[in-house]
Amino acid sequence: MLEPLTLSLQERLIGVIGLNGSGKTSFARLINGLTAPSQGHVRLDGLDTVADAEALMGRVGYIFQNPANQIIMPIVAEDMEFGLRNREPDKTARMEKVAATLNALEIAHLGARRAHELSGGELQLAALAAMLVTDPDLIIFDEPTSQLDIRNRRLMERAMAALPQQRIVISHDLALIEDFERVLLFHDGRLLADATPAIAIAHYQEIAG
Amino acid sequence: MRTLYAEGTGPFYRLPVRAKLLLLATLGVALFLTRSPFVLAAGPILGALVYFTLGLPFGLAARRLRPVFLTIIIVAAFSFLVSEAEEAVLQLLRLTTLMLFAATVTATTTISAFIDEITRLCRPLDRLGLMRADDIGLAFGLVVRFVPEIMTRYEAIRDAHRARGLKIRPITMIMPLILLTLRETDQIAAAIDARGLRGHSITTK
Repeated sequence: MLEPLTLSLQERLIGVIGLNGSGKTSFARLINGLTAPSQGHVRLDGLDTVADAEALMGRVGYIFQNPANQIIMPIVAEDMEFGLRNREPDKTARMEKVAATLNALEIAHLGARRAHELSGGELQLAALAAMLVTDPDLIIFDEPTSQLDIRNRRLMERAMAALPQQRIVISHDLALIEDFERVLLFHDGRLLADATPAIAIAHYQEIAG
Repeated sequence: MRTLYAEGTGPFYRLPVRAKLLLLATLGVALFLTRSPFVLAAGPILGALVYFTLGLPFGLAARRLRPVFLTIIIVAAFSFLVSEAEEAVLQLLRLTTLMLFAATVTATTTISAFIDEITRLCRPLDRLGLMRADDIGLAFGLVVRFVPEIMTRYEAIRDAHRARGLKIRPITMIMPLILLTLRETDQIAAAIDARGLRGHSITTK
């Protein structure tokens, strides 16, 4: 449960930090319309996440903590193509878009792989590809590196850094957000700090004890 | 992340999905039209011949059937208690036959092919405004895709019991399994909405 807050998020790189249960994920779910606000409004480019849900569908990408739960089809490219079926009626066009997205992420070799054979990092990249193929304007990452080893973490960080979209990254990994433009610190459902990374992280370390 | 589909090239792989589903449905009805134990005994033999020659390693093929087969044994045992031994045997033979042929269909059909076919079959009802064919197809695909995950969760809970030196009892296994499955179901539903795989749905918290 989040306490009322008013925010305008214009920056391209926004970090969200806080202790477990502080409201970070609830905040992220409000932004992409997965959760409707109990009062007030959440707007993206002037569109209301509840009233204009259809129009906003696919505009906000979301990478969940557990990528296995967001991959439906067994083959990576098949899963990406499946995500486009509601948007593009022509299968050839869908497959072209899948190939272009895989190439852009430099993971064309994963396209024909079975999702259950992938490592944690590869699975996270596959989930990212499945989301990017739909061309979102804003991407929310929920703990994108928490389950990854150093090698896979670097892979994921590189892929994230190359994205042109606005990104909101929820993370306990403070190094991941230290060069962001803005960091939001949540505590007990309240927005405790809205500042530069240095200030927000210092505040976070204080409350963490 | 496991999958029920097994790569292969046998005759069952070449059959159209609709034919396989139709065969399975016809078999399901036909099995309940006869009470001859000799006719029904041929079912599991034939089913086992088809299923175990698909190319899956025998151990893996057998392990896949274990949870369903255990359920069938419980159903047959219940029939034995409340009815007669003959009824229990007939139930056992019918359900085992269905299990083997259904396992053959899922092992030889990709999730994508399942979704496409179920969606196509539901399209006339969609046009009548009775259902959303895309959602039914997706729901069907999700069942095939995520049922094996329940087994993974079961194994994780079993390992947690062993690691803590706890005896594995049905009651201490089933509750966490249900809770864990429901929690993950919620995450999967959120992921489907976030990816826009169906109409956008909203929950209020």
